[in-house]
Amino acid sequence: MPAPITERSSAHRPRAAVPRAPDHTHRGQHPLRLFPAAVHAEWTKLRTLSSTWWLLAAITAATVAAGAAATGALSSEHCPPPGSCDPDQVRTALTGLWIGQAIVAVLGVLMACNEYATGTIHTTLTAIPDRLRVLAAKAVLLAGITTATAVPAVGGSLLAARFILPTRGHKLAHPAISLTDGATARAAIGAVLYLVAIALLSLGLAFLLRDTAGAITTALGLLYVFPLLAGFVNSPTWQDNIRTFGPASAGQSITATHHLDALPIAPWPGLGVLALYAAAALTCGSIALCRRDA
Amino acid sequence: MSTTETTASPHPQPTGYTSPLSRGRDGFRQLLHAEWTKLRTVRRWSLTLLGAVLATILASLLSAQGNQTSGGEDTIAVSADGTTVRDNFRFVHQSLTGDGSVTVRVAGIVPAPGRNADRPPILSPWTKAGLIAKASTVPGTGYAAIMLTPGHGVRFQHDFTGDTAGSSAGTAAPRWLRLTRTGALLTGYESTDGATWHKVGSAKPAGLSDTIEVGMFTTSPEAVTMNRSFSSTEVNGELGMATATFDHYTADGRVTGTLRPDDVRRAASSPNGPFPGMPSNTSTADNGTYTITAAGDIAPLEPDMDPVQQGLRGTMTGLIPLAALGVLFITAEFRRGMILTTFTASPRRGRVLAAKAVVLGAVTFVAGLLAALVSFGITRGILRGNGFKPPMFPEARWSDGSVLRALVGTGVLMALVTVCALAVGTLLRNTAAGIAVVVVVMVLPQILISGLPLGAARFLVQSTPMAGFSIQNTTHRVPQVDNVCLPEEGCYTYGPYAGLGVLAAYTAVLLALAVWQLRRRKV
Repeated sequence: MPAPITERSSAHRPRAAVPRAPDHTHRGQHPLRLFPAAVHAEWTKLRTLSSTWWLLAAITAATVAAGAAATGALSSEHCPPPGSCDPDQVRTALTGLWIGQAIVAVLGVLMACNEYATGTIHTTLTAIPDRLRVLAAKAVLLAGITTATAVPAVGGSLLAARFILPTRGHKLAHPAISLTDGATARAAIGAVLYLVAIALLSLGLAFLLRDTAGAITTALGLLYVFPLLAGFVNSPTWQDNIRTFGPASAGQSITATHHLDALPIAPWPGLGVLALYAAAALTCGSIALCRRDA
Repeated sequence: MSTTETTASPHPQPTGYTSPLSRGRDGFRQLLHAEWTKLRTVRRWSLTLLGAVLATILASLLSAQGNQTSGGEDTIAVSADGTTVRDNFRFVHQSLTGDGSVTVRVAGIVPAPGRNADRPPILSPWTKAGLIAKASTVPGTGYAAIMLTPGHGVRFQHDFTGDTAGSSAGTAAPRWLRLTRTGALLTGYESTDGATWHKVGSAKPAGLSDTIEVGMFTTSPEAVTMNRSFSSTEVNGELGMATATFDHYTADGRVTGTLRPDDVRRAASSPNGPFPGMPSNTSTADNGTYTITAAGDIAPLEPDMDPVQQGLRGTMTGLIPLAALGVLFITAEFRRGMILTTFTASPRRGRVLAAKAVVLGAVTFVAGLLAALVSFGITRGILRGNGFKPPMFPEARWSDGSVLRALVGTGVLMALVTVCALAVGTLLRNTAAGIAVVVVVMVLPQILISGLPLGAARFLVQSTPMAGFSIQNTTHRVPQVDNVCLPEEGCYTYGPYAGLGVLAAYTAVLLALAVWQLRRRKV
């Protein structure tokens, strides 16, 4: 009768391990109660999904490619007096943010909604019953990887523009793009923060709605509907109002480097509007997470 | 997967059990019914449809509210066929009864200082100088004219919309022009030397009585310059005056009266004439040489905005939830494993996708049409209140062919985009990626085109799926008017159906790819 023996022996094994376990669990802190451990757990979940790496690569590639395409499309043929065209080169170079932000939103939404779709959220909340800690760990990790992706995306865009602009035969009214220029540095740092804020906004929406399709649609709607409407109205007051209160259009004022007085909202306050949206989404998301059954 | 032919099985059931239900059929009608049941019973999807309709209406409402116009200039005339036109020119004329002809040599056309005396004068390519035969000096009445233009050569034009090109080579003055009347027919000729004449065109203008006014005319529309840099477009319409010099004027036939100058224009309400700040038109005659300086145009008036299209601007917002619905209609089945049941019941996968496309297309067409009807109904009054009213903006009626086309077209557009989303969902099998791709591809070009150079913007508008939005255009543009045609303001350089065709082609290709992938890949 070999079967019962193996069954018995396998049943014995965990029991033999029991005496060692209390050292770990009963005395002091369980490793997962510590915040860094929670972040580490999230990191393990995230890095073992191949889709994460595809998304991160896509953010950088799409942002740089779209920025390079926009810079390459710059032309001075419609400027009647030569040199009168004064395009904001840095802003143009960062046009790719319009595409990159959509992929960042997908990343942020999937970070929470994937767990709800697969049921992993039960395991996660069993391991770390403090739900706010789960949300905070996810937010910190998401901000970290978004920064790590946004830095090459923004840097690559600016670098590409630096090489492309002279080949466009422009009589540049401004010197070549350089991070030593205060406004350019602000635009570059701001662009990274912009993507981080959008990731957090999406994460908050994801915890609030818990449904992938719903959260993605809401996030993309928030990002794209305001600029759409601003383009459809012709009254300058309306345009300025829409651009001031829309998260994406307000946030992107951080990428402007000249004609700042023509902006509907100044660069840093504009990014602040987006940050408010992100904070509101995260607050609603955490209330929903703490109040509702998982 | 082995296929079992249930109908061909000769063996009786081993248990002797026979289902009391009659055998199901797997026709396409049953598939449609199955897909309709799936769509109808998921409450979230019905809500999404409702949300799409509401989002469309709300966004249309907002964009109508945010659009104002001063109502246009007060020099608008209405032609015999009801077209709103500009009919302002300096006319040095006499009366002609019965048949006859007039001949003149246009010696030169030069720009004249306009409103801004400090700026160099600009000559519009459509400055017109030549001979005209007109029913009377009342604006809007029928006419035929042979003219020289600086940018478009010799033209024969009649009744505002008719335009025939003559020679374009060597357009520089001097040029001989002749206008002949035979009965109701007016014919324009041109010549380089006054001896050899070439016919340019002929027409029977509306409303000419036996006695008409013939003579020389000059008019010059505004020269439009555009400064388009990233994120800002500056359009300057520089009202330019032009001075044309004529000589060798002869008239044959029963001509009465001497040549007398007149300004053809509608009495303007502003004291400074039709163009505030402009010098008034002048004409001088000196020993057979006539010099006419004038501003204005003889052409259809094209409003720079289409109120019907403006009232349907919410469509793009409504597409965002519809994209989600289209993607989910297939990815939800993959996610839940429902697709296994579906393909077991109906192993022909292409037909399943076709049934899904038909059901989804029909439902979203109805939703889109409903949204378009309500949007149009609500925004009409708002836009009229904001200044979009006759005569500049003719009243849009439900029964107008172009309005109906725009409304039904909006339904078709929404259906096509949703089916596109279904195909993308089938190809990607991933809800998040599918929705993001469809939304970005549909919406982003509209946001970005205002900052792109005109060539790149036109390319985007014509070759991406958003070309389908041209179906919402109800204005008819004529080529003989220089207009600022900005893609972001809904101006398309091709007809309404061509754009919808582009979108339909995208849909067809995506669906074909989706069917191919669906049959090839494991579920």
